[in-house]
Amino acid sequence: MTEFLNWLQFVLSPQMINGLSIGVAVILMALGLTIIFGLLDVINMAHGEFYALGAYVAVALLGLGLPFWWALALVPLAMLLVGYATERLLIQRVFDSKDRHTLTLLLTLGFGIVLEDVLKIFFGANPLRVETPVAGATEVVGLFFPNYRLFLMLFGGALIAAVWLIVFRTRLGAIVRAAAFDRHMAGSLGVPVARVYALTFAFGVALAGLSGVLLAPIYSVFPTMGRDFVLMAFSVVIVGGMGSIKGAVIAGLLLTQIQSISSLYISPVWSDPLLFGIMVLVLMWRPQGLFGRLGHA
Amino acid sequence: MKQLKHISIVVALACAGTAHGQGSQPIRVGVVTPLSGTYAGIGQQVKWGLDLAAKEINDAGGVMGRKLELIYEDEEANPAVATQKAEKLFQVNKVDFLTGTVNSGSTLAVGQVAERNQRLIATTVSFADSITGDKCSPNVFRVNARAGMQSAALAEWLSKEKPNANVFYLGPDYEMGRSTVAAFKAAAEGKGARTVGEIFAPLDNKDYSPYLGQIRAARPTVFYTSVAGNDTVRLFTQLSEFGLDRNLQIVGASGTVTSQNLPAIGKAAEGFVTGVGYSPLIDSPENKKFVAAFQAAYKALPDLYGADSYGVLYFYKAAVEKAKSTDTDKVRAAMRDLEWSTPQGVKKMRAGDHQAMQDMYVVRVTDGQFRIVGKVPAAAAIGPDTCTKF
Repeated sequence: MTEFLNWLQFVLSPQMINGLSIGVAVILMALGLTIIFGLLDVINMAHGEFYALGAYVAVALLGLGLPFWWALALVPLAMLLVGYATERLLIQRVFDSKDRHTLTLLLTLGFGIVLEDVLKIFFGANPLRVETPVAGATEVVGLFFPNYRLFLMLFGGALIAAVWLIVFRTRLGAIVRAAAFDRHMAGSLGVPVARVYALTFAFGVALAGLSGVLLAPIYSVFPTMGRDFVLMAFSVVIVGGMGSIKGAVIAGLLLTQIQSISSLYISPVWSDPLLFGIMVLVLMWRPQGLFGRLGHA
Repeated sequence: MKQLKHISIVVALACAGTAHGQGSQPIRVGVVTPLSGTYAGIGQQVKWGLDLAAKEINDAGGVMGRKLELIYEDEEANPAVATQKAEKLFQVNKVDFLTGTVNSGSTLAVGQVAERNQRLIATTVSFADSITGDKCSPNVFRVNARAGMQSAALAEWLSKEKPNANVFYLGPDYEMGRSTVAAFKAAAEGKGARTVGEIFAPLDNKDYSPYLGQIRAARPTVFYTSVAGNDTVRLFTQLSEFGLDRNLQIVGASGTVTSQNLPAIGKAAEGFVTGVGYSPLIDSPENKKFVAAFQAAYKALPDLYGADSYGVLYFYKAAVEKAKSTDTDKVRAAMRDLEWSTPQGVKKMRAGDHQAMQDMYVVRVTDGQFRIVGKVPAAAAIGPDTCTKF
């Protein structure tokens, strides 16, 4: 019995908490994706590159001598502008076309490839290291946790709660949900639908950029950093239900916990195949995902 | 056709020889080493060691009255690039001898190029046991200690300091990682250690925290790793951040912590123990003279790569002087069983597999320095000769 309690405390719980810190970052990514899909019906294939861009903007700001906290505040603002411009200049061009799904998919995919190469030209292909802004570790009941991962969990958790409140408890959120439910009805009631679309897209991109900054001190920064991570966010969105905020949060927690607990028994290298396996199973038996779409549930 | 080409090269060389006079024509040594990319830090040490030795030898009158001339080519730690550059050095620059390869794959590939060109090469860095084992070549020599020798020394120390230890292994998931872990596991288990877990992470892994769970669950007393370069920086930093390094003896391959990545790892490297063929703190007049000259020239300490690359030119010099020729067959015969002096003391080239025999050291990182805590004589560390090709 004491053996089991010991295992619970010193083996299982640190692994779960570590999974939680990664889960929070994945959820931030997935929220951006799912909101953009829920409202615009656009699958943003460039989401991973926006995540990388956020991290690189932070690297550039740190290079100017600004502290990490400034970067954390400025990157989402910069990414809002990038997202707004992308929606207005690229997505809007093909938005009203009949092949909207295919065209936006190809458009964002191509834009992501260009973005990745631009990053490579400007910053080089080698990984850049970002110093941890809060060094050291805290001891909690005999367990050690790096302070930065604790901060990541708290800050990310607060952000997720804030997104939830904005979407479900504010007038702004009601407008977004209304536009997602019936764009023509919302438009005829005076909602500036085009601007709502652009701002929502920008908001999702800002969330991606923010996760990029938050994870930079852990994973370091390199041009292809978005690729693996966005695949994980996509699986979360698919399992949770395309366009569902609740689904993204719950599936994000669930999948990252499965990943970290399974790593106790199998090599962590296998956690990606495991994740995609679950995604395939969900697509086979419940293609709409665990929860319904934004504005419909 | 190929025969013709060789004859024409010999004729050309002979003409050049008579034109300049035997005494004044330099002996050309090709160096194929990574000067850019992931292994650039290792290539830097190789270059420093070779440059220093060449300068010393030339200042003292050269080899049989002929100067040594080094010709560098960047191999980018890529076997495909290394073979092209080696081919060029043999065919265009007509080098008499070639050294510098770092990546074990490059050494094996360049060895085949050397066989085709009927020249000799020596590696001063590559660890993989196969180079002087089942993939040995009559044209390839190794002057540095191979993975098996490092493991033997470390296992010897471990059995004394931590008898019957519970060992957990973590290696990079490719040829080098798998073979170093297998070699040390065999050596440690032979001396009574128990294996409690084994795991491999991809090269250039970004986050080791998912791997820590299995380490916690296995409760090892000793942790062995053979990751290298920046992977070591991340692994050691995270082990220390999560408090796993307490009450845990961390040991590893000699390339895991070097003077090159030690500053980036910082305090997390304290207490790390490895088996290695060199430490700047070896207390001998030869080594003190070498370290002083190296520091004066480059404002940096030599590591194992710098020391062995320095030693390889003295190896070649001794062989050429014994053979009284730079002819491949004569030099090869002279190199076999040759004893020569290096910063680590006298080394002997084993004739059967072309692997240098040397005393092995066990070093521990203390206050950011590699302090020697044990020594295993050459004969005990070398292991059996498994080469069957010559």
